[in-house]
Amino acid sequence: MVAAASLTLAAIHGLVWFRQRSALASLMFCLMATSTAGMAACELWMMSVQSPHEYDKALQCFNVLRWLITLSMVGFVHYYLGTGRKWLALSVCGLRTVGLFLNFTLTPNIYYSSISELRQIRFLGQSVTIVEGTPNPLMFVGQFSLILLAVYLVDATARGYKAGVRRSLVVGTSMLVFVMALSIQTFFVLWQSMDTPIIASLFFVGIVATMGLELSNDMVRAAILANNLQNREYELHRERQLTDAIFESAPGMLYLHSRDGQIVRWNSQYEKNTGYSSEEAKSMKAEELFRPEDLPKLNRSWDRAFSKGSVELEVDLIRKDRTSVRHFFTMVRVEVRGKPHLVGIGIDLSSQRALAIETAHRNEEMAQLAQMASMSELSSSLAHELNQPLAIILSNAQAAQRLLSHESPDMRELREILDDIVSADIRAADVIKKLRTILSRGEPALEEVEPVDLFEKALALAQTDLESANVVITKKIANNLPIFHADRIPVEQVILNLIKNACDAMEDNDPSSRHLHLSCKQDTGFLQFSVQDNGCGLPEDPDRIFDAFHSTKPSGLGLGLAISRTIIRAHGGQLWAEPAEKRGAIFHFNIPLDSFNS
Amino acid sequence: MIASQKVFLVDDEPALLRALSRLLRAEGFEVTTFSSATSFLETYDPNTPACVVLDVTMPEMTGIELQQHLIHSSSNLAIVFLTANGDIPMSVRAIKSGAIDFLTKPVKDSELIGAIRIGIKKTEENQSQQNETQSLKDRLKLLTNREKEVFIHVVTGEPNKLIASALGITEQTIKVHRGRVMHKMGAESLAQLVRIAERLALLESNS
Repeated sequence: MVAAASLTLAAIHGLVWFRQRSALASLMFCLMATSTAGMAACELWMMSVQSPHEYDKALQCFNVLRWLITLSMVGFVHYYLGTGRKWLALSVCGLRTVGLFLNFTLTPNIYYSSISELRQIRFLGQSVTIVEGTPNPLMFVGQFSLILLAVYLVDATARGYKAGVRRSLVVGTSMLVFVMALSIQTFFVLWQSMDTPIIASLFFVGIVATMGLELSNDMVRAAILANNLQNREYELHRERQLTDAIFESAPGMLYLHSRDGQIVRWNSQYEKNTGYSSEEAKSMKAEELFRPEDLPKLNRSWDRAFSKGSVELEVDLIRKDRTSVRHFFTMVRVEVRGKPHLVGIGIDLSSQRALAIETAHRNEEMAQLAQMASMSELSSSLAHELNQPLAIILSNAQAAQRLLSHESPDMRELREILDDIVSADIRAADVIKKLRTILSRGEPALEEVEPVDLFEKALALAQTDLESANVVITKKIANNLPIFHADRIPVEQVILNLIKNACDAMEDNDPSSRHLHLSCKQDTGFLQFSVQDNGCGLPEDPDRIFDAFHSTKPSGLGLGLAISRTIIRAHGGQLWAEPAEKRGAIFHFNIPLDSFNS
Repeated sequence: MIASQKVFLVDDEPALLRALSRLLRAEGFEVTTFSSATSFLETYDPNTPACVVLDVTMPEMTGIELQQHLIHSSSNLAIVFLTANGDIPMSVRAIKSGAIDFLTKPVKDSELIGAIRIGIKKTEENQSQQNETQSLKDRLKLLTNREKEVFIHVVTGEPNKLIASALGITEQTIKVHRGRVMHKMGAESLAQLVRIAERLALLESNS
C-alpha cells in the first residue's frame, strides 16, 4: 500500500520533471518516492526472511535505498526551499555515503556485528521475522547522519522562515518530525532490541506525503498562475490589436525602434513612404533611411529624445529607390520590455506641401473669380484693360501727326512716341491673351457636383444684386437628382450670368413684380437647368443674343452669353432661350449625365 | 493766341501722361503732369487760370474726389474728365458739379483739345470777372459811410427827396453825395451804378 501510494506520487512528479527539466525538486521527490516504495518492499522482504544470510542481503538493499532517500531528501530541501546550508547538506550526504560504504565492507552489515537468530513475532496482527544480534558500534555513522539531517532541516526551516518563505515551516517541520520519529524508532530497534521490525519506510512515506502535498499546492498555484497568464495574454492580444489599429490609422509612417536603431514595429504607411517591404523593414536600422551627412544631426536628435523624452525633426528621408522626400518626424521615448525605444510618426511634407499649394491655388482661383463675380464685370474690366493701351496709342499717334506738321519735327520725340505706341500695343495683346486663358481653361476639370449646390452658390454670389432689386426667387428642384460630373466653377458662372441677365431684364419692372424662377430636372440622360424671369423678354431672333459682342446693355460687351454657351458646349450640353409663357424669358441649359461618368 | 494756356494732366498711367502731354504741347499748351491727385494738390497754384485733365479711376484719390476738393477750396480751375470705363450716372454728377466735359478713353485729339479750350476760356472769363469785381471792391472802399448809405438808397430806385427825408439831410446834399458816388464807382449812368451794385451783391448783403 505504501509502495503503491509512493509510486503513484513518484510517477506524477517524474512526469512533471520530464516535462519541465528545470523542476529539480520534482525529480528529487520522484526519486525519493520511488526509493520509499523500494524501501517498503525491502522491509517487507526483511520481515519474511528465512535465514540470517537472506536478512543480510535485504538489509544491504535497504541501506542502498536509505542512501538514495537521504540524498534525494537533502536534494529536495535544497532545490525546493533553497535555504539550507550547503556544507551541512554535503556532510549529511557524505556521512550517509560512508555508512553505505561501511555497510558493504563490514560483515555482516553496519547494523549488527553478528546476527544470533531469527525470531518470529506478531506485529500488527501479522507474523513477521525480526533478527537478534549484537549492534555494530559503527552504526553511529548512520545515526549521526540522521541527526545531521535533522540539524540541516532545522537550519533550512529556520532560515526559510526568517526569509519569509512560509511553506518552509510546513515542509521543514513535518519532515523534521518524521526524521526524529524515525531516529527514535531505529534507536530503540537497534540498541534496545525492541521487538519491532524496521519500518523506516512508514516514516519516509509520511515525509513523501508532506512533500507531495506541498508540491501539489505548488502545482495548483502554478495552474492558477497559468490561468492568469492566459487571461493576461488574451488582454495583451487585445491590446496588441488596438495598438495595431492605432498604428494603421495614423496619417503618416509610424515606427518603433530600439536604442541601436533596430526597427521593431511599423505600419503599412511606413512601407509606402520608405518603399521597403515588410520583410526588408524587419532587418533594417533607422539610420539606413537617411543621408550619411544627415546622420550627425539625427544622432543628436535621437540622443536628445532618449534623454529628454521627445523630439521633433525635419529631415529628408531616402527611399529605397534613392529618391529623397522631406519628412517631419516626431519621436517619443518609450520602455519596451524594460529597454528604451523610440516611437514616432513621420509625415511626408512633400504631399503636405502639394496639398497646401493646391489649396492656395484653388483659393487664388476662387478669389479671382469672386473678384470678377460675373462675366459682365469681367467685360467691364476687360474694357478698362484694353482702353488704356488704346488711349495711349491714339494720343501718341495724334501727337505725332501734329509734330510732323511742324516745320522741323523733333525726331527724338517722334522716336519716343513710336516706342510708347509699340509697348502699348504689346500690352493690349497681353490683355487679350490673358482673357483667352481665363475663358478657355483647356479641358474641363471634372468633379462631382450636386445640382442643388450649383444654384445655391450662384445665388450666394448674386445675392447683393437680387436683394437690391427686390427680386422674388422661387425654386423647383426635382427630387433625387443624381450627382453629376462638371467643371463646377464655370458652370456656376453660367448660372450666375443667367441670373444677372434676368435681373437686368427685369430692371424696368415695377419693383414689386420682379420674379426669378430656378428649376432643375432630369430628362433622358440629361440634367436640365432653367432660369426664368418676367422681364422685358427676348428679341425677335433669340439666337442672336448668343453671338459675341451682341449686347442690349449700354455698358455690356455682349460676351456673357457667348462665353456661357461655350462653357456648356464644352460639357457636351446646350444653352438656349425661349420666351416665357406670359412675360419674360427662360434660359435653359442641359448637361449630359453619362458622357463623363464612364 | 494767349501766351500761356496752362494744362494740368493728372493720371496714374505714366505712358498715357506722356502721350497726352506730347499731344497738348504740340498744340501749344503749357503742360504739367501729375501721377496722382495728391501730388497735384500739393503743387498746383489756385490763382492761375488753367484746365486740369483728370483721370477718373486712380488709386488713393479718384478724379471725382479731387473735383469735390477743388470746389470746396473755391479754385478757379476748369476740369475735363477722362475715363476708361465711366458710366452715365458718374458723368452726370461730374458735369453737374461743374466739369467742362466727361470724355472716354481713347479720346480723339479734337475732342480733348476742344474741351480744354472751352475750359481755359471759361477760367479766363472767370478770372477777368474776378479782377473786375476786385477793382469795384477797391473803389467801394473809397466811399464814406454817408456815401455808401446814399449809394444803397439810390440803387433801390428811391427819389432824392425820399432819401433826404430818410437820412434826415437836405435834398441838395443828397445830390452832392450822389455825384461823388457816381464818380468814385466809375459809373456814367444810374443803370451802370445799379449793375455795379448787383456785381458787388450789395443789395442782398445790405444790413
